[in-house]
Amino acid sequence: MRRLNLNTPFLHLILPLLTGLGLGLVYSWFISPVTYVDANPALLRADFKDQYRIVIAAAYASTRDLARARARLDLLGETDPIAQLSAQAQRMLAAGESFEQARPLAQLATDLSQGFASAPSTDTPLPAFNTPETNPTPTITETSEIEPESLEEPTSTPPPTLSFDQTPLVPVTAETSAPRPTFTPTPGPGAPFALVGQETVCDPAQPGLMQFMLLDSRHRQAAGVEIIVTWNQGEDRFFTGFKPELGDGYADFIMQANTVYNIRIVTGGSYVPNVTAPSCVDPNGLSYIGGLLLTFQQP
Amino acid sequence: MPSSNLIKIAIALIVGIVLGLMYGWVIDPIEYTDITPNILREDYRTDYVLMVAESYQHDFDSEAAARRLAILGSESPATITASALEYANRNDFTRDEIQALQNLLTAMQTYQPMNNP
Repeated sequence: MRRLNLNTPFLHLILPLLTGLGLGLVYSWFISPVTYVDANPALLRADFKDQYRIVIAAAYASTRDLARARARLDLLGETDPIAQLSAQAQRMLAAGESFEQARPLAQLATDLSQGFASAPSTDTPLPAFNTPETNPTPTITETSEIEPESLEEPTSTPPPTLSFDQTPLVPVTAETSAPRPTFTPTPGPGAPFALVGQETVCDPAQPGLMQFMLLDSRHRQAAGVEIIVTWNQGEDRFFTGFKPELGDGYADFIMQANTVYNIRIVTGGSYVPNVTAPSCVDPNGLSYIGGLLLTFQQP
Repeated sequence: MPSSNLIKIAIALIVGIVLGLMYGWVIDPIEYTDITPNILREDYRTDYVLMVAESYQHDFDSEAAARRLAILGSESPATITASALEYANRNDFTRDEIQALQNLLTAMQTYQPMNNP
């Protein structure tokens, strides 16, 4: 057996070098690793990102500043922030949280997908039409202060009070003493949805899929409408708009064969009983459970 | 062992340690991916507090605001808001934003956590 030669370069140079390298790595990785003190939101843990999204959506519900909400979501470094918002809203509902808590997330997802800020879901007080016809000074002051902001953010929707504050600048004549509302009336949130279409969808990739499409009176898709589906063994509740990639008024539900479903649109109390999955036949002659597309619309 | 060899060993050891430190601190440092919000950079923290303030302007829910601020650290919600307000004043935030932070600060200064039974 050969004896270890203590005078070899291995012992004098390489072994101490490797030992030092190991000591340095242990110190820099475990004993005193790099510490972050100025981190960005993209590094947040998943549950903190969820909280961050909730706060972004809550702030958006207050400011209706869609560009800013989008910029804030970008800080989280996600490839599809809309999908993340929708998924989180679904998770919250699945966890038993109320729709009111999930609504800001769904609303923000919907607005981001459609590209503009929709009307707030909560009722806002109507502005007073018989504003004082004199004393225009406060109006001029407010206008001069608000104009720079509107130039910076052209996409933001000005609060309705601005337009009414500007009206005293127009000379008021005696004929206009009886003011009339100039806003376009919109259907009330409680107007009932009626079933206007029921189509069988034969798609082997989506057997038993019951699809809902809810439209308001202007044929625009209506998000946030609660739908209740009941059957003899249970009940399911869900809302439109949680899959914005399929439409703001879209929702779906998986049907089982030989089961009778009753559908209730909570808004307005529309009720559609005795809905069953249709039967479809594929090109090979085999039958499978078909789907349905139900279209509801407000009058 | 001759002293010259000891010197060689010491030098090699030191060089190894330096290389190890460089690799561990500079070339391939530990990367954090699941951080907590308390180490967010100050501007991000302030923007978070501003979001809480903006939502408070909407719902006036002190409980929710305090709960949302609590994830930023162990300091009191009022202290966190005061720090954000100070940052906002130093960095020319808009008057509305500063007012929102001021309103939140006032709310947090008077906020009393609900006692759990």
